[in-house]
Order: sequence, then structure tokens, then C-alpha cells
Amino acid sequence: MNLSDEARKILDNSMRINKSSDADRKEIEELIHLMPDDRVLFYKNVVSNPIGDLPRYSIHIRIQHMLTFVTFLALAFTGLPVAFYDHVWAEPLNTLVGGVDVSRVVHRTLAVVMILSMVYHLFTITLGPLAQMFKRRFEIKRTILPLMKDLRDFKDDLLYFAGRRDQRPEMDKFMYKQKLHYFAAAFGNIVMVVSGSSFLFPDIWASILPVSIASHFQELMRLSHPHEALLALLVIAFWHWYNVHLAPGRFPMQWTFLTGKITREHQIEEHFLEYLRNLVEIPSERSYLNDMLTARELREEGHVHEDPEPMNPVDEEPAS
Amino acid sequence: MMIRRSGIFLFYLMIICVLYSQPLQAFVDEEGCLLCHKYPKMGRVTEEGTRRSYYVMPHIFGKTVHRNVPCRDCHNYIKELPHREVKTGVSCDSECHSVKNPATGKNFSHKPISDVYSKSVHGRDKIAKGLDSDKPYCITCHTNPVYNPAEKVVPKRIADRCVVCHEDRDFVESWYNHTSRRIRDIKRSSAEIIALCSSCHGDKKLIERHMKGAAEKGVVSLGKKFPVAVESYNASFHGKVNRYGFNKAANCLDCHADYDNYYLSVHEIRPSRDPLSPVHESKRYQTCQRCHKYANENYATIDPHPTKDLASNPFIYYAEQIYNWIAYVVIVGLIGLAMLETFGRRRDGACWRLKQGSSWWRKSRKRKGRDRIV
Repeated sequence: MNLSDEARKILDNSMRINKSSDADRKEIEELIHLMPDDRVLFYKNVVSNPIGDLPRYSIHIRIQHMLTFVTFLALAFTGLPVAFYDHVWAEPLNTLVGGVDVSRVVHRTLAVVMILSMVYHLFTITLGPLAQMFKRRFEIKRTILPLMKDLRDFKDDLLYFAGRRDQRPEMDKFMYKQKLHYFAAAFGNIVMVVSGSSFLFPDIWASILPVSIASHFQELMRLSHPHEALLALLVIAFWHWYNVHLAPGRFPMQWTFLTGKITREHQIEEHFLEYLRNLVEIPSERSYLNDMLTARELREEGHVHEDPEPMNPVDEEPAS
Repeated sequence: MMIRRSGIFLFYLMIICVLYSQPLQAFVDEEGCLLCHKYPKMGRVTEEGTRRSYYVMPHIFGKTVHRNVPCRDCHNYIKELPHREVKTGVSCDSECHSVKNPATGKNFSHKPISDVYSKSVHGRDKIAKGLDSDKPYCITCHTNPVYNPAEKVVPKRIADRCVVCHEDRDFVESWYNHTSRRIRDIKRSSAEIIALCSSCHGDKKLIERHMKGAAEKGVVSLGKKFPVAVESYNASFHGKVNRYGFNKAANCLDCHADYDNYYLSVHEIRPSRDPLSPVHESKRYQTCQRCHKYANENYATIDPHPTKDLASNPFIYYAEQIYNWIAYVVIVGLIGLAMLETFGRRRDGACWRLKQGSSWWRKSRKRKGRDRIV
């Protein structure tokens, strides 16, 4: 496989910061050379363990996800019957969560837990990269920060889904969907904390804000809190759970949130650039790949591709 | 023959009287009103077709707050027996001639509180016409069942002690009940207060009548929240949690009555434009401070009766429209993306389940020669 310029930069950078030896570099380059040009053929032929093969999330991220996951749902179920009091399901749901005398204490307590989880996350995303910088291993492309590349990836991916492109784009550890979801959740959390605090301490907010906006602020918060909650719940139920539970290849469950590992086929399909780093960082992955390519006769020896396919749109073949 | 028939009639009448009369009268009927009013069928059909019962149940009346007041203290228009047709009925500000106010020695009367009430926004005469007849009269709120909960038997040890000097056990018991009931907090619960106020202020037809009446008069005398008082309260946080039984949040009277003199103040509810009202602009934040400790003038600008229609609150109306559109676009967009993604990946051979190491067991319809090698 001839790597794209982007992938080549990632690989070279990874080998540099991992201080790969010449022997390693040679092995990696040979392996890259042997990989089939058709990345689809590549990820279709690997063997994946459903609970995950390659490292993805640290224990901190998994704990934070679990905290957010539990608190978010419990907060939603204790809060929604109060906000949407005039709906037919509101009263039974409110009774189910113990009545407002109980749920108001649960709601506020879990809100504090959720805020603590946010603080924990802030520490993780600050101290983690700082440690990486200290070790000179920090790569901005490997973080969840949005880049112009994500827009390009989004466009290319849509073209692939629509059949106008042969390959999915080469995406990094965090693809456009994850970045979108992460920042939506981060924004949503901030909205919920600010608006929630405006319900809990309305007098303090009013004394801080100028008189001209104190009332508008409170009204906007009254609107935002349930709106954001419902939107988040719908996005989680219809999109996030679809992506991690129901989508082809993820059904019945992606184990990443528990094991911290991603399946090999998923990594190559949606996070190819991260897979290149895996090849540099995990020697056993190199030998696995070599064995697989040999066993399945997928080695592309002696081929030189002047025009690598992934970057070129290919006319769709008629459906058979 | 006539004499025999009359004899049988009188015999039956006697039996009916014996059967219907109460064996024990709980109050003293010195005026002889029960001679007639003890009969359950005592009543008539008015010219308008309304059935009226004039039955007084002695065993029930004997437990009401008025049991010690002779009938004619209130029904003071009754001068002879049998009496004439009653036109106006009892007015609560009449003076009792038999009951003295122990504090002043004067005849007891509800007139002072009635005068306060008549100056409030709810004030009306006993016989009111037109829109005023929609307003509550004393008995609209002071229904005896609420204000006279089943009285407990006076503890024997206490009564025994009192009669040592006060001699009369009946007096001791009625005095004990009278006093202890007022010591007990017998005001309505939050839910009952909200239900009581809502019974009129939530009545759409009544509200329409009054809005129309105000418009015809050409004066803007009704508050801007008047037409939406109940629905906007129900949609507020106070209303929502009260609805679910959390009674520490404000009910109607917590804001609209002066809490420092609650029992007097609930009788003199005033419109918010009245400087004496606890929700008047100048006093509102002090009212809020009763619960919201750090409330200041800024806080008092926050609407406790929130609305979100275009006419009354364009800011929140447009904000909600924008929020709704964002939500529709996000949900439709994301579900659309998930569907397109599934469609695209399925076409290239993705299976739902990851089994035997792969989820790519189907043939690609995209391109030949890129299927999993089995």
C-alpha cells in the first residue's frame, strides 16, 4: 500500500516519537508495503475479538463515561416528569422515581456527581496531554480537537455511504462523529449545570446579573434545561445507542466502554491513522498482521501504485 | 268517617315524627326552630325550579362552630313563627346578641373582618349582581367541614382539672374545643389553597366574562396575568412541585397575602398594582425574600407566572422556536446519517453481528473481489 501523505506523516511522526529502532522501522515499512491497497479488503479479513483488540480508552475515561452515563439517565428520569408535568407519562414516572420529595434530592445529588465527573474529566484531559508533552509524545491530531480534516472526512464518508466513493476516508483516533458528539455533550453539560444552578440559586444569579437581563436569563434557563435534557436523551437513544449497539458490526454491544479496547476491524475501518500508530506501538500487532496477510494471501508484493485508490472516487459497480 | 280518616292521618304523622326526630339534640333550641326544621323533607321548589332544603340536622349542626349561637342571632329577620319567606338570608357581618366578645364585652360579630374583606379585590355584598356575583362570599371559602375537623374527645385529665373550679363540664369541653382548634394549625394545605383559588381563577368562562366586562367599561382594571394566572402558575416551578405534593414551594397565598399577618391578610387580597399588595413592584422582592434569602430588586423582575406566547413574551417565544428547530434538525440529521451509514456499509458487506472474528460476511455490492476470504 502506498500511504497517503497524511498517513505517511502520522506514521513517520509516530515512529519518531516512539524512537523506533531501524529494525522496527524496516519491519513497519515492509508491512505497510505488503498491505492491500483496498483498505476495505484489509479490514474485512482481519480477525477481531468482540470485546476488543487494540487499546483506546484509559481507565479514567471509562470511569468518567460510566459516571456520566448513570447520572445522565437518572437525572433525566427524575427531572423530565417535573418539566413535562402535563404529559400523560409524567405522573406515573414521577411516582416510579419515588415522588418529588425523593427525586429532588436524588436529582441534586446526582447533579453534583455529574459535575464532579466533569471536573475529573477536565483533570484527565489537561494532565494527560501535559504528561505527553513532557515526554514529547503529544500529537494534536490524536486528540478530539476538531480540525478542518474532519469536515473533509465527513464529506468523503457521506460520498462513500452514497456509493460515490470507493473507500471510507482515513480517519484519526477520533472521527468527525465522535468529535461532534463529544462537543455537543460538553456544551450540553455546561448548559445543564448553568441552568440547573439558576433553578437552585435563582436569587444569587439575579443579584450577579444586571437588572436588564436577570429576568431574560432566568426565563431562557427555564427553557434550556428541559429542552437540552430532552434533546440529549433523544440523541443518546436514537443516535448514540444506535452507533454503539445496533449498527452493523457493533450489535449487540461495543465493549469499548468497559474494556477500553476497540475491535481490530473497527479500528482499521474508522480509525486507520490510529491503527498505523498501533502498528508502531504494539509489536505483536505487526506480527499478527504479517501472519494474516500471508495466511490469506493478501500480500501485495512488488506492486507499485502510482495513484493510490483511496483518494480517488471510483464509479460505482452495478449492484449484483 | 272524616274523624276516622283524620285519626289515621294523625297517627301516621305521629309515627313519622317519632321516626325522623333525633333522639339527642346537641344544641339547645330555645327558639323552637327545630319544631319544623328537624324534618328532612322540609323544603320547597323555587320559582326558578331550584330545590331548596331547609332541613337542619341537629346532630351535625351541634358540631359546627356556630352551635352556641341562637338561630335568630344570624337569622335576625325572623320576627314571628311561622316566619315569612326569606329574601336575603344571613349576612356574616350581623351582630350576635347572645354571644359576647370576651375581650371587649361587646356583642360578637364578624363585621371587622367582613369590612376588611369588602375592601379587598374580592369584596362583595351578600346579594351581588352581575360580575360581582362571581366573587367569593365568606362561605365560599369558609366551608364548615374544612374549618371544623372532627373534634377529638377532650382528654379526661384536663377536663377533670378544669371542672374543679369551672364546675360545668359542658362549658369546659366546648371551651377546650374552641381554643384548641385555634391553636392547631387548621389553615388549608397548599394543594387545597391552589384548588380553591383555581376553582374561580381557572374557570375560563368566568375569566372571559370579567375580561369582557373590563373591556366594556373601558378601564384596564385587571392585571395582565389575570387571564393566565392558574395555567401560568401550574407551568411554573412552584406550581409543578406543589402539584407533586412538595408543599414548601409557594402557593397562591404565600405571595399574594402578607405572611406576617396571614389570617387577616388572606381576607384583604389586593391587585398587584395596589401599593399595599405584597406583590406590588415596590414590595415584591421583600415577599420573595421570605423564601429566597438573597432576593433583591433584580430578582423581583423574574416572572413567577411565566408565559411564552408571542404577544406576552416574544423573547421566549422566539427562543423556543429556535430551540425547536435546532432539535428537529439535529434529530432528523443524526437519524438520517445513521441510516445512510448503515445503508452504505451494508452495501459493502457489513453484517449486524460480529461472529467468528468478523462482521463482514456478506458480499459487497459495491465492488467485486473485496469480500472476506473464507
